[in-house]
Amino acid sequence: MDKHHGIAAGIVKAFLWVYCSFAVFILGYILYNSFRPKKDILTNTLGSPSGFTFDNYKKLLVDDKFLRFFLNSVIILVASLLLIVIISSLTSYGIARYSFKLKKAIRVYFLIGLMFPAQLGIVPIFLLMSKLNLVDNLLSVIIVSASSISMPVFMLSNFFAKLPEEIHEAAIIDGAGEWTTFYKIMFPMASPVVFAVCITVSVQIWNQFFLPLIFLTSEKYKTVPLIIMKYTKNLFMTVDSAMAVSILSTVPILILFIIFSNRIIEGVTAGAVKG
Amino acid sequence: MIAFFKKRPYIFFLLPGFILYTIFVIYPIFAAINISFFEWNGISEKVFVGLGNYIELFTNPELMSQMTNALGHSFTLFVLTVLLQIPIQIIMAYMIYIKSKGKNFFQVAIFSPQFISTPIIVFIFTLLFDGNIGLFNRILELIGLGHLTRSWLGIPELGIYIVWIMITWAGIGVGMVYFIGAMKMISFDEIESAYLEGAGVWRRLYYIVLPQIKTTILNLVLAAYIFGMTIFDFSYILGGISGGINRNVDVMSLFFYRMAFGDQNPLGGRVNENSMGMGTTIAVVLFLMLFIVAIFQISLMYRKEEE
Repeated sequence: MDKHHGIAAGIVKAFLWVYCSFAVFILGYILYNSFRPKKDILTNTLGSPSGFTFDNYKKLLVDDKFLRFFLNSVIILVASLLLIVIISSLTSYGIARYSFKLKKAIRVYFLIGLMFPAQLGIVPIFLLMSKLNLVDNLLSVIIVSASSISMPVFMLSNFFAKLPEEIHEAAIIDGAGEWTTFYKIMFPMASPVVFAVCITVSVQIWNQFFLPLIFLTSEKYKTVPLIIMKYTKNLFMTVDSAMAVSILSTVPILILFIIFSNRIIEGVTAGAVKG
Repeated sequence: MIAFFKKRPYIFFLLPGFILYTIFVIYPIFAAINISFFEWNGISEKVFVGLGNYIELFTNPELMSQMTNALGHSFTLFVLTVLLQIPIQIIMAYMIYIKSKGKNFFQVAIFSPQFISTPIIVFIFTLLFDGNIGLFNRILELIGLGHLTRSWLGIPELGIYIVWIMITWAGIGVGMVYFIGAMKMISFDEIESAYLEGAGVWRRLYYIVLPQIKTTILNLVLAAYIFGMTIFDFSYILGGISGGINRNVDVMSLFFYRMAFGDQNPLGGRVNENSMGMGTTIAVVLFLMLFIVAIFQISLMYRKEEE
């Protein structure tokens, strides 16, 4: 088909170039400033540097032990993700592969969570967690994050329902039990959908703000988004650290995204088409 | 007993998810409804007040004005998203779909802010629009419009629009990717025959593509509604627990948070003696507002499935 899309499309594309360059520019701008002393950033934002320094990073990594907060976020992400994948694939398989009386009702039941985010039920959840003595413990955030399985269950049960019945039958005939069939045959087949689930869920969990804010009150348990706020709250005091913390917490993830961008975007699309 | 479970292996598959989901997603909804009938601060004795909290919420002028203000902002975000963000997402997706030059770069650059934490998004916009160190003011000075410089983030009327711009920049890529996915499902023949009949890019978008991505549009409109009612972090980070100057960036979820968990103490709050009661009351009002849309959405999902 034609490669010329007309003047209007040309203008739109030009806008897109500007818009997209903005993301690159702002990242470069923060990177550049993260190597400058505070006085320079505040008084001479755009000007040429009076000197480069690694002090901002040193302060963050050595004095403020930033990696500990990074570790908190990683622990929450990995644990929640593992739980979500295990629990939601079991549940979806149960819903999709077997027929039973309340099947339709159970499906709708698991969809409810899509419309009601955990934060609205946070008061009872908080009371429950304080009874379990889990307030100010990473476990509370992990458990609550791992309970929102509506979207994963929806995506995975659609996938399992579409698998031909013969695979299941063949495995049973070969002597595999229900559990082995699931674990050795069905679950591996679902890996593209599991990947899509992981992508969608990871972004949410990594950036989640509300649950850690409620549950993680002491400094040592804070996650990356919460600790960033400490530096961005009062820019006159900590603008240098804010620059460095932005780079430290953004760049590794962006690099991962750019490397896997095709698969990630495909994964998100798959989630949408199935959703 | 064993025979019962042997006949029903699905129970083992369903059970772990069912238990966890029921305790931490479904039970809290009902528990919140229950608590909303009590006057309670989370520590002392609960006092049953029936619909008292609801009556107070809707008749107390201070609470009511805070709620209408927050609700107005939540709706503003929803309307802006539907009227501006979704059309932009469609156009962006379409430009990538028709294989414009640089489409890979577009896709990555538009999607990537999704991976940036909210506090950093807010920080980026502060770097741009701050009165003192803001780049926007520097640029105005450079091009000789120095008299226009001001502290953009300090103008109360702009607050909620700035929040919307931040939300859009951060999240626009997800919807765009959904649209690209939907567009890729359109049969190529249809597009090609329209092209051979002489329909230009925009006519093809309007007559062929738009009708076929209707469901995606509708889903994103519903998602925008849920999002508007539950968005919290942008307003909290930008305006703090009070919701900014004159509560200019306050939204429903922040109003709820302030009532339930306000103050330094997680069990404190403005309505201190009744923080849990009033907090859950607001949560229930929000539940109801989402419930109407939820019924609609679930029925839509089922219709799609039965097709």
